[in-house]
Amino acid sequence: MRRLWYRISPQLLIGELLEKRWMEPAVPFLLMCAIFLAFVVAIPDYGSIQQLQQLMRSFPEQALVAMAMALSILSGGIDLSVGAVFAMANFIALYLAMVLELPVSVAFAGALAWGALIGAANGGLIAYAKTRPFLTTMVVLIVVRAFYELVTVAYATDLASAYVDNAAWDFVGIGDLLGVPVNMVCLLAVAFAAHFFLTRVKPGVHIMAVGSSRKAARHAGINVRLSLFLAYVLSGMLASFAGFLYAARQNSAGTDTGVGWEVNALAAAVVGGISLAGGRGSTSRALIGAAIIFLLINGLVQLGTHGSLTTASIGFLLLLAVGFNVKFVKHKSKILQKIYVSPTLVDFTPPPSIARDSGTVFAENDRLLDVEPIALGKIEGPEDVILDRNDNLYTVNRNGSIIRFLAPDYEIREEFARIGGRPLGLAMDKDENILACVAGMGVYGVRPDRSVFKVTDETTRSRFRLKDDSRLLLADDLDVAPDGRIFFSDASTRYDLADWALDGFEGRGNGRLVCHDPRSGKTSTVLKNLAFPNGVCVAHDGQSVYWVSTWLCRIYRYWIDGPRKGALEVLVDNLPGFPDNINRASDGTYWLALVGLRSPVYDLAMADPSFRVRMVKQIPPDEWLCPGINYGCVLKFNDKGEILESLWDPGATNHPTITSMREHKGYLYIGGLENNRIGRLPLPDADPGWTSWDSYYGDGTTPAAVTAPAPARKAG
Amino acid sequence: MRKLLTGAMGRTLAAALTAGAVALSAGSGQAADPRSELMDKFQAATEGKTIAWVPIWLGVLESEWTRVMKSNFEDHGINFVVRDPNFKSDIQLQAVSTLINEKPDILIVQNPTTTLLARELKRAMREGIKVIQVNMASNTLTDAYVGADVPRMGRMLAQEAIDTCGGGKGSGKVAILQGEATAAYSLDMTVAATELLESDASMSVVSSQPVNWDANKASEITTNVLQQNPDLCAILSVWGPQTAGAAQAVKNAGLQGKVNIFVASDGQPADCEMVEKGLYTKNLSYTADRQANQIVAAALALLQDDRPAGSAQYAFYTTNYWVSGPEDREYCFAASN
Repeated sequence: MRRLWYRISPQLLIGELLEKRWMEPAVPFLLMCAIFLAFVVAIPDYGSIQQLQQLMRSFPEQALVAMAMALSILSGGIDLSVGAVFAMANFIALYLAMVLELPVSVAFAGALAWGALIGAANGGLIAYAKTRPFLTTMVVLIVVRAFYELVTVAYATDLASAYVDNAAWDFVGIGDLLGVPVNMVCLLAVAFAAHFFLTRVKPGVHIMAVGSSRKAARHAGINVRLSLFLAYVLSGMLASFAGFLYAARQNSAGTDTGVGWEVNALAAAVVGGISLAGGRGSTSRALIGAAIIFLLINGLVQLGTHGSLTTASIGFLLLLAVGFNVKFVKHKSKILQKIYVSPTLVDFTPPPSIARDSGTVFAENDRLLDVEPIALGKIEGPEDVILDRNDNLYTVNRNGSIIRFLAPDYEIREEFARIGGRPLGLAMDKDENILACVAGMGVYGVRPDRSVFKVTDETTRSRFRLKDDSRLLLADDLDVAPDGRIFFSDASTRYDLADWALDGFEGRGNGRLVCHDPRSGKTSTVLKNLAFPNGVCVAHDGQSVYWVSTWLCRIYRYWIDGPRKGALEVLVDNLPGFPDNINRASDGTYWLALVGLRSPVYDLAMADPSFRVRMVKQIPPDEWLCPGINYGCVLKFNDKGEILESLWDPGATNHPTITSMREHKGYLYIGGLENNRIGRLPLPDADPGWTSWDSYYGDGTTPAAVTAPAPARKAG
Repeated sequence: MRKLLTGAMGRTLAAALTAGAVALSAGSGQAADPRSELMDKFQAATEGKTIAWVPIWLGVLESEWTRVMKSNFEDHGINFVVRDPNFKSDIQLQAVSTLINEKPDILIVQNPTTTLLARELKRAMREGIKVIQVNMASNTLTDAYVGADVPRMGRMLAQEAIDTCGGGKGSGKVAILQGEATAAYSLDMTVAATELLESDASMSVVSSQPVNWDANKASEITTNVLQQNPDLCAILSVWGPQTAGAAQAVKNAGLQGKVNIFVASDGQPADCEMVEKGLYTKNLSYTADRQANQIVAAALALLQDDRPAGSAQYAFYTTNYWVSGPEDREYCFAASN
């Protein structure tokens, strides 16, 4: 029961939910739904079709003005003139259509031109004259408002008596398309367009970028001024479009038209969760915020509330919503941090002893003591090493490069290719391309001519999971099957490389074994819910893949061909340390690196998930009880799952965190995730002509080019 | 209040009589009493009906209308619904649109402008809702209009100004304080007053500006007008509350008593007080409380009228009374709450 609870932890769901970007407006969205439902309950027929139509007809203008405001806020400024621009556009449209009796299209164009003009004035001042948005638009607000009052008074009589029967005008004002009011259709179209513009179209994305960080945007080569200018022009046009719709619907230019709308729009933006600092938010959030305010006022009026009470309660609710929203946004990442890590139960039995005198195969010895260091100080973090048929040594470093050390003495270091990310496990295919798992990127290859190519960076997305796991987050090690299929481990879909320890605390099946088939170009997940699958190696007979689960300290065998194809079995259980890469040995067995050793206290911690939860929540990361990866060893096992021998470096002075080893022509080359060297150990009993490439692709004969490599000079 | 009580008593008495009559007729087996038939007909037409009321907001004036309507309608068993848009025209339009969907039997509105609700009022009548417009009409004619004869009020104000300032008795300079420029009440009154003033050669309108029912704005405008025309003779204002600002400006300029202030208003208590304090010269009251009873009468009449909505275009013009001193208190209603 307890085990099940920890396995299907609801925390997992909440954590991944909170991580979603669309969760940010969740609170305002829920508030909007709650308000609507409350009124549906409180007011008879509030949810009727007719009533909904009415709501949809009344809403769009405010929503558009809120969007105009939101756009200016997203660009990192503010546009206080939206209300006045809206009112003036309303007048212009009315004047053109009702007094001058011009066609609706002229009224439309006139209103939009007005909006663009004022937007250009705002934008020109703010972007080019570098005035402050708040003051600039406030002055524009006052000027436009005064102008509006002047003209409405001047044309009061004309407007009051104007009453033209214009079918097109009435269609915009009170018509509908398939039951949806025309202005609502307009709003939806504009909202979609605006969203698309801000998220997918270059100038729009630039506006968002400028809003997020003006400096960064400038450094990225964005024309900041133009983007700002554009933002205000669009804001003005949105507000004036609202004015046009309003004119057609209300047929009225009262003195209160647009008064205080900038405040409502600002409130809508804030309630919707748009950051006043700019750059964070979306048009949908402006719409949600506007809808909340709109529904509140509308519902309270329908409930027959006294006007002053309506205003007061709206103010109060806004305050609450804003306060809560601010807190939520501010603390969301903290909440996420606190609940994201969701440990599960792992029961270990005590491992075999590694004591020197224990007599087990794991007993500590000195066999790695005299390992000869290669490239000492010339390499950082050679997680994996591989050698080509000409004995050149390839490895990875933490800077995202494939580094080559040239045979025979490995003194000459060169950057063979640069991929980026953090390259980890290596393999070589039939064409002698180097294949590399790159954490954060996927699987990449480097041709002998040094050109880099992408093998794959995504796999099938799992169904019924909130988190989009189609991207490869932590590709770790790989190997190539005889038919060319590439099997590789994606160690975790929840944490990236830097947070490997958190994945360890969870001990959960977050990883997967993935297969890329170059023949079809398709990548698919073959095994999922694996606890940090790490080393991958195709068996000598090519019928199965060995892979290890680092946190469960197991070696698995997965059959990829032959009669047992598809079967999965545990080959070795209860290793005394955390297994890492696996590679073939010349005698038909396999080398396995133990990156670290288990300790009784960590085993105990793994059996107590709540302890790990408390640990992650309550104490700083540098005091966490982490899996010990300072000291490991190299093991050898065979197809039957028997551990044959172990190679130790007592005190781990030469090779802490051993993550890989590769046998080549009688030598064992040793790599480590955090090491500053590659170790080389002569293997007296090994086949001196054996190379890994031949083991995979050779015809059984020893290639001609082979000569034993000259011993590299001992450094230091 | 007293009037209401007597009305209620009278009705109780009538009901008792009818009951007696019914008992009698039942006993004698004769035809029903015509008076009780009338009551039955009235009750059938009114009881359980819904009347919806959308003022511009619930200010002093509107609250008085609402109070009278509420007590009368509830007394008749009519369901009375009030929606308060709190001086926001877009919300008022929403409220009216929503009410039309709810299909009350009668919709009573106070139009903030001539155009805002015009289209929706037409729709309401198409939907079978009878519409009464109160004091501030729209461009749509509906089943009934209850309110002041606004142009006449304008002419009465103007005539008063002419009598006081024209023909050499004063400078002849008049300033007009409009309300909301596009509201019928303000527009029509201003037009009528201006017409009459312009017909007299000794008069000149030096300023005619809307103050949007706002005392502060009226104060600003009046201050400016007084600076440009220190010899201003009269201010005509379309509504009481806004005029308080103008009166204050006149007082501040030290011109109290020299500048005559003629106000058209609804008879809210402050209007009478201002006259009594000498801040307004004269106040023309259309007595909102009495007007409210006429709204009730119009609504009851429409409920009993079997014809569909839009058939009739009744007008119930209210009588205006001059308030020039404490003796005219009766033309101001008592402050409610």
